[in-house]
Amino acid sequence: MTISVEAAFAEHVDQLTASPPFRGLESGEASREEFDSFIANLIRAHVNSPRVVAFLYALAPPAACHDMLHNLLEEIGIDDESGVSHPAMLHDLAAGARLAPVMGELERLAAKDLRSMVSEPLLYGTLKEVGLAALCEVVAFEFMLSRVASRIERALATHRGLGAESLRWFHHHSEVDIAHAQQGLQHIEDYVLYYGFSEQDAQNIIELTLRENVFIKRYFSQVSPTTASTMQG
Amino acid sequence: MKLASATIYALQIPFVESFRHSAHLRQACDSVVLRVVDENGVVGFGEGAPRPYVTGETPEVVVDHLAHNLWPKVAGVELPDPQADGLSTLDAFIPDMVLAGVVSPNAARCALELAMLDCGLRARGASVAAVVPPRRASVTYGGIVTAGSIDAAARRAAQMKLVGLSDIKLKVGIGDDMERVAAVRQAIGPEVSLRLDANGAWDLAEALQVLPPLAPFDVAAVEQPLPRGAVGDLRILREASPIPVMVDESLVTVDDAERLFAEEAVDMVNIRLSKCGGFQRSMEIARMAADAQVGVQIGCQVGETAVLSAAGRHLAAGLPDVVFVEGSFGTLLLVEDVSVESVRFGHGGRAPVLSGPGLGVEVVEDTLRRYAPRVVELSAGGPQL
Repeated sequence: MTISVEAAFAEHVDQLTASPPFRGLESGEASREEFDSFIANLIRAHVNSPRVVAFLYALAPPAACHDMLHNLLEEIGIDDESGVSHPAMLHDLAAGARLAPVMGELERLAAKDLRSMVSEPLLYGTLKEVGLAALCEVVAFEFMLSRVASRIERALATHRGLGAESLRWFHHHSEVDIAHAQQGLQHIEDYVLYYGFSEQDAQNIIELTLRENVFIKRYFSQVSPTTASTMQG
Repeated sequence: MKLASATIYALQIPFVESFRHSAHLRQACDSVVLRVVDENGVVGFGEGAPRPYVTGETPEVVVDHLAHNLWPKVAGVELPDPQADGLSTLDAFIPDMVLAGVVSPNAARCALELAMLDCGLRARGASVAAVVPPRRASVTYGGIVTAGSIDAAARRAAQMKLVGLSDIKLKVGIGDDMERVAAVRQAIGPEVSLRLDANGAWDLAEALQVLPPLAPFDVAAVEQPLPRGAVGDLRILREASPIPVMVDESLVTVDDAERLFAEEAVDMVNIRLSKCGGFQRSMEIARMAADAQVGVQIGCQVGETAVLSAAGRHLAAGLPDVVFVEGSFGTLLLVEDVSVESVRFGHGGRAPVLSGPGLGVEVVEDTLRRYAPRVVELSAGGPQL
């Protein structure tokens, strides 16, 4: 199953990097507002990641428990040589991009996203299925970032003039983290095995989770024009 | 209540995945949402989902009919109180009009009726439940499998079973019916109810040939096997078919219902708010169906937003006998829905009856604006395009 999940992730990454807004970032053709919208969307998508990782840690199968705890501690800056939490790195990104004034709004929107996710009726009958869907999405982002983060980092440095300090979050998730992403694929296998999913049910949940390209959706679609124009001000 | 202004949003909300049947490929929600505001600033929302192959309406027809024909009749005029005067009074207030090339402009009518109902009830702090009392605490929805490849249809059906849906409708009529039905039945096993929807793909001779071999797959009903038209053909098919016959496109108006039931041409009907012109007419058709001992399915418009889904929930909860219910797919189909709280069904297709004021959903107007390439502002003086 690893191969088919990996292939699905890779397809989504290809779609992201081929998408016009991503190409606009890389070529520098994106406007300042488009760069800022992208940064804002990325912060909104990831600023709550420690909480999502904590949820996954709570459901982790024994074989993946140690790694997931490490991931969680790293997210909150404890098990990381920098000693900086990942949300703090996103705050640095906002500050470097001069988006600090809207950081509160982005955190509010991220909290709203989390609230909506928790409040929405559950499609699945048990927590084990919800956990697999969540794990799949988190690993998909790890997989994507391990292949694309340095390209984004380079685009933001070159075309948006951001310094290394502001871009630490990307460095942490870049190709240096590729082993981490591979580990994520193994965690999906461990999870499926531990909770006794049939191959077919696991495939179905993963396929349902990956029905839409979450990378494009989260990075390029979420901030409304109203929010974007507020940020421009 | 007097309506002071209105806004028409002609939406284009992309789908997460395209939806195909024998008559159409749909990749986005093209509903028309109507926002009305009364003289005290109370806001109400309604929605119509134009389908050229059903009512004959396009989004442009609905927008123009609302802006130029219906709005001038209701703007600035004292309207009936839906709670005190009832749905029939509200329905009578909306003029019936004949439009060239249109079976009946029911999507536009539905949008206006729902908006007036939502606004009028919100003004009193009352729910639609006050005029359509729920007979059950929750509604159970089924799934709809689009007409993609057979393999994809079987996988999607299996996914629907995985999320606990107990009935599934499969789009057929694209030349591979036997293989398609067999694959889907195998994917969902014997315990999930399966029905078919041909969207008028066959003529009588084809339907008589196609349906008998499909009966062993335990098919609960076949929807719209023939194109809208000769009721006599439907009766012949119903008498010969081993699978119960349901109509959808053949049932747009109350007159259609009268003819179908008088001819004893159908076993079931698919009633959809937008197709049938709103609550009052949908409920009237449902009453006629009950009298004729014809089963009722409350259908949806694929790609409808939370506004129409909420209204459909009230209708499905308020009717005494409903065999199948469709709708409330929300973000399973739309990249983004228009309400604050999700109206999407949960595991098993279950969704609670909505109890908030009006239709029971809070619409995010910013979302409407983002997904509306065309917005028409209306005042008591007329449209401002």
